[in-house]
Formats: sequence, C-alpha cells, structure tokens
Amino acid sequence: MKFSDRIQKVDRRIIYVILLIAVVLPLVFRLGFKTYTTTPVENLYRHIDAIAGKDDMAILMDFTHDPGVLPELYPMDLAILRHCFERNIKVFTISFLPQGAAIIQMALSEVKEDYPNIEANVDYCNFGFKPWSTKLPIMLGMGDDIAEAVETNSEGLKLENLPIMQNMKNYDNIQVVVEISGSSMGQFWVIYARAKFGVDVAVGLTAVMAADVYPYLQSGQFVGSLGGLKGAAEYEQLVDIFAMNGLEFSKKKARDMEWVEAQYEELPELAQLYKYNKARIGMDAQAIVHVLIIFFIILGNIGYFLDRRAQKKSM
Amino acid sequence: MKRQIPLMIVLILGLLFVAHVFIPSKISTDYLEWFMKWTKVIGPFAIVLGVFSLVYVHYNKIKRKAPNWGYSIVTLTALVVTTAVGFIWGIQEGTPYMWIFKNFNVPLGATMFSLLAFYIASAAYKAFRARSVEATVLLVAAIIVMLGRVSIGQAITHWIPDITEWILNVPNLAAKRGIALGVGLGMTATSLKIMLGIERSYLGGKD
Repeated sequence: MKFSDRIQKVDRRIIYVILLIAVVLPLVFRLGFKTYTTTPVENLYRHIDAIAGKDDMAILMDFTHDPGVLPELYPMDLAILRHCFERNIKVFTISFLPQGAAIIQMALSEVKEDYPNIEANVDYCNFGFKPWSTKLPIMLGMGDDIAEAVETNSEGLKLENLPIMQNMKNYDNIQVVVEISGSSMGQFWVIYARAKFGVDVAVGLTAVMAADVYPYLQSGQFVGSLGGLKGAAEYEQLVDIFAMNGLEFSKKKARDMEWVEAQYEELPELAQLYKYNKARIGMDAQAIVHVLIIFFIILGNIGYFLDRRAQKKSM
Repeated sequence: MKRQIPLMIVLILGLLFVAHVFIPSKISTDYLEWFMKWTKVIGPFAIVLGVFSLVYVHYNKIKRKAPNWGYSIVTLTALVVTTAVGFIWGIQEGTPYMWIFKNFNVPLGATMFSLLAFYIASAAYKAFRARSVEATVLLVAAIIVMLGRVSIGQAITHWIPDITEWILNVPNLAAKRGIALGVGLGMTATSLKIMLGIERSYLGGKD
C-alpha cells in the first residue's frame, strides 16, 4: 500500500483507541488549561447576580433534558444552583420531561449538601415534573399567576401556601428563565413567555446546538447562553472568582487572566470539590480531542493531495 | 358531515386564537384561560394512549418471536418495575426510583451520547477533504472554530477565538436567520392552508 493510501486509511479501531486515551488521560491527570470567559456567559451570570438578596425576585430553571446530555449540561445545572445558593438568589425549578425531574432532584441534593442553611420552599422551590402537554398552559399561565398555573410543587404542596411564594406573583418576579436542554425548548419560552409577557430568557445547550442561538442573542431574545461544556466551564469559573469570594461581577476583571489566577489561589475548599470543577476538567479532555481530530483531518488531506499529485503526474 | 365538522372546528378555533393574539380583550383572555384548563385535562390522556401503544407493540413482538424480541422483554420489564417503584416508594431523592435512575438511566444515556465523539472523529478523518473551494472554506472554518472553542486556540493567538466569534456571529448567524425566516413563513403558510381546509391530510383517509 502506498504511503498516501496508508495515511488515508487508518483503521477506525486505531482512531478509537487513540481518542479514548486522549479523553481519559486529561480526566485522570488534570492539565489545568485556562478558561477564558465569553460575553453570552458573562451576561447570564451578571443577569442572575443582579437579584442577589432580593426576596421578591427569582430565576426559573427549566431542566427539560435527559440523562444522555448530562455530561455537558449537568455541570451547568450545578454551577447555576451554586451561584444562586451562594448569593442568596431564589430559584424555581421545573421540567417538562420525567427524566428532567429526577435530574433536578439529583442536582438540588448535590448542591444543597454544601449549603445546609438553604431551605426547600423558602430559598428555592422545585415545581417538579409537569407533563409536556401542559407546557403551553403553564408558560402562558405564569404570566398571570405562577401559583395558579403550576398549582403544586414536586411534593404535591399547594404553591400558594409556600413561604417562597408570598412575594411572587407572575413573570414580573422572574428575573430570567434559564432553559437547560439539548433541544430548541428555549425558543418556546421566547415565543410564549417573552413575546407575550416580556420575561427574559437564557439557555444552556449542548455544543452541537450552540450555533443555533446566535440570532436570538443578537436580537436580545436570549439575554445569555451557555454553549456546551465550554459554557459550563466559564460559568463555573465566574462562580468561583466572584460569587465564592463575595465579589460583584466585573467584565474587566473576568477577562484579566492575572487577576483570575490570583483569585484561584484564595478559593475556599468548597470550590475545589470535584463536582464544582467537572466542566473545567472536561474541557482539558475536549481541548486535546479537538486538536487530535484536527490532526486526523490534516493527515487525511495530506494523503488526498499526495494521491492527487501522483495521479496528475501519471497522466 | 364527517369532514365538514372537523374542518369547521379547526377554522373557528384557529380564528379565535388569531383573534386572541391580535385583539386583546377580557373576552379573549377568558377564552384562553378556559382553553388552557381543557388542555391540562386532555393532555394526560395521551399518556394512557402511549403506554397502551408501547405494551401492544412489544407484547406482539414477544408473542411472534420477532427479531430482537428479547429487547422487548427488557423494555416491558423496565416499564413495569420503574412505574411500580415510583408508585410504591415515590420519586424523591433516596427512593428506589432514584436509584434506578442514577444507576441505569444516567450511565446508559451518557454512554450513548459519548459514542458520538468517536463517530465524529472517525467520520471527519474519512470524509473531510478539501475537494472543492466550498469544501476548503468549510474545512478551514471548522478547524478555526474547533480551536477557538478550546483554550488551546487562545494560547496560540487571541486571533483564533476572535475569528471564531466572527464566524459564529456573522456568517453562521446570517445562515441561521435565513433558515428561521424560511421555516417561519412555511409554518404560517401551512397553518393558513390547514385553517382554510386546503391541507386536509391530518384528517386521515381519502378526500
């Protein structure tokens, strides 16, 4: 076999093994690549942070995603919840998928164990699973009365009787709806909740969906977005350097890598837990895999051009 | 009459919804509230239909010993067991339902999605060739975006993330917006065709 053929026809099992090593090694031995934050992530962080300590404002997190996308989206779930619990921001959670309801339970219990003072139905309220078919009535109904539209929380308690609901009426009390999903669910919130009631919407998406949101970001229909593991890693970093240190967000500081590095050295133990660094560790593996895929693409193309040159010569 | 009554229902309800959006009033708001209550009641009945359909299809596969009928046993067992533990012990953290979710659903789902990385790498290596000018542009854009989305791109030069942002914010955005406008116009046209009775395929059967 010619050299050009050989580099174009590497057995896919060899590619798989090399890829496996490239994924596993950075997960075991942390490379510690830097995380650079981007505008859509910073905007979402700032938007949520703006209601820190307010009793009559909350964010609504929609967990309409299934376990298949957890590696990318779960770090976002944890990072946003940690931000809210750290900065005393009220949170509502909901899912229109049954699996999403279980993910809410997982995420809430995982973050709550580090915040013993946070109380269910006082600091946050889990609306739980609501059938897909009730999505439209709930999205529209919350514009008038959240307690009436959602009716009960995940434990079956009437919302109107819960302490957290005493200062909450409708979308006027929702700072932002954060849709975390591997689908176009965020657009439903734009069509039904934003267009009619003006509530702000943001999304957390898998990387393959991230390119779809740019028209919505430019038009302001999404106030921010977290694109894939990279978006989650950026949010983790913002929570670490600002929320964990009790600091207000500053774009200038977030982009000053020397200042960021200095903040990392003073982080509390809580921020160093594996669960709150998952996305950044994952990004090390992703960076290596991206380079590897580029290498394979270039290798294939070198073979292709060598082949073409040989063909031209023989003609 | 079998056709005219459904067509009339579609036309009247369609016009009422259009009126609700364009003519805000107490009557239209009350109509929407009334409709929403009905939707909440009707929706859950779909679950009964879905479960019946799932059991019917898989039961028949097992009965006929159709190819891969063993997987149907797994599906039905999972359906019965998960539903039973959910009803008996609830679905809160610490229940058997959550144990099943964490130890079966999560690893199985994540495994399926993770396989994508291997297929993408193999497919990109085999198929991504600079065969034409268009393919070369796509190839170069893909490489820049792949580098720009990880920290290595920034480490090489800050131009890579900047160009990545430009690619996503300008050519990508223009293409996505064009597609979205096309889809929006298509949906409006199809809705009008359904409301006016021109598009009747949803009724099923022959005209």
